[in-house]
Amino acid sequence: MRIRVDAGLCTGHAMCVQQGPDVFVLDELGYNTTESHDVAPEYEEQARRGAMACPEGAITVED
Amino acid sequence: MTVPSQEVEEPRRPRVDFDHYAHRSIGQSDRAWRELRERCPVAWTEANGGHWVVAGYGEVVEAFKDWETFSSARTDPRYSSLTIGRMPIAPLYPEELDPPAWYPLRRILSELLSPSAVERLSPRIEHWVTHYVDEVIERGTCEMAGEIAGTVPAAVTLELLGFPERDWARMARAFHGAGAFERGTPGFAEVVADLAWVSERVGEEVADRRRNPRSDGLSHIANHDVDGVPISSTDACAVVLLTVGGGVDTTTAVTAAALLHLGRHPDDRRRLVDDPSLLASATEEFLRMYPPARTHARTVARDTELGGCRMSKGDRVLLSEVSACHDGAVFPDGGRFVIDRFPNRHVAFGMGIHRCPGSHLARAQFKEMVRQVLARMPDYEIDEAGVVEYPNWSTIGGWARIPAAFTPGPRRG
Repeated sequence: MRIRVDAGLCTGHAMCVQQGPDVFVLDELGYNTTESHDVAPEYEEQARRGAMACPEGAITVED
Repeated sequence: MTVPSQEVEEPRRPRVDFDHYAHRSIGQSDRAWRELRERCPVAWTEANGGHWVVAGYGEVVEAFKDWETFSSARTDPRYSSLTIGRMPIAPLYPEELDPPAWYPLRRILSELLSPSAVERLSPRIEHWVTHYVDEVIERGTCEMAGEIAGTVPAAVTLELLGFPERDWARMARAFHGAGAFERGTPGFAEVVADLAWVSERVGEEVADRRRNPRSDGLSHIANHDVDGVPISSTDACAVVLLTVGGGVDTTTAVTAAALLHLGRHPDDRRRLVDDPSLLASATEEFLRMYPPARTHARTVARDTELGGCRMSKGDRVLLSEVSACHDGAVFPDGGRFVIDRFPNRHVAFGMGIHRCPGSHLARAQFKEMVRQVLARMPDYEIDEAGVVEYPNWSTIGGWARIPAAFTPGPRRG
């Protein structure tokens, strides 16, 4: 699984880290700065839930 | 057969008889928005001088995200552009600004209210919740809207900014009153006077911090750089005023809603007590069911189309957070409270660039208030006969009184 974050869409709700604390990284102001990367199998559920929780639709998950 | 071209060209402008200022209770407001949403997600009303009403989730979100078309900037310096009715209040920045002016002022608030800044504030949040629960815990009765939900957000916000404690009650009352009193009543006249006083106090404290900076939020705002030059006094005041206004009565409203809901629904209360890990999803669901900011207004900055309706530059538009939050097309069984609902992409904090910058602080305070009430007054019962809602559910929805009784307990502070 691969995740991509469109930083231009992120407006800092910070809901992704609530679901995926080991997957998503926020900057000091609370905006998503997670680089696109392949997600280890044990964190796939966190990544998927983080993407579903994002109100702005800024996170994409590709299986 | 030919179709008259004008029939095809005719812009859709479904007209409805809809005045959100006529909504006198949460039940009436929720019902009116549901009926409108099910009829048409976007419509035109002649109420309040004529404006669009946007009720569907997809359309509300689309408008919130498109700040270039749906502007938040003031069109009249005397009145807020964020409500359809004319609310006389000094400017509220960055909410009443569009980019590029919006960005540097937004950054000031993002720094002050970031998730990590809120994490550092958690001892103060815990302190003030403990303090205000202590004030009522031995008595065995309290008025939850005023004595708990109303006091904590004012204390946390105004302490963070650095206002002296003697100002807190009147500042809270000014914004609470703006929701709690009808326009045109003596109560509202008092609100207008209180809001003017708040502006005056903001001006005095900002001037003081520009001369003598301290380590408080007022100093952070009053001495910040904006595009490489020191912020103007006017802009600093507008940022402080928004922080006060956004901070003192909105968290109050959703906390009051939750305490009332948990008093009325023992099954939800039991589940939350038995499994405190549900508090995270419950918080989002309380926000979705009872969004404190029911609506926000925008002004069309360029001709556009939304939900199949053609809108013209200058049109005023009412976006309904509450209607979007309850939209069954996005939230199955949207009128029902589901404690573990997921996903829950509600719009209680808005969407797009103006997403409430205080959302992290609001959630942290809300959770600590609910946690301590459930732990320290677990058997509280609402005195239904004494419950008083705000008289108007157009803009901010909330409760003026929620009396409750419980088994007295010991102070902790």
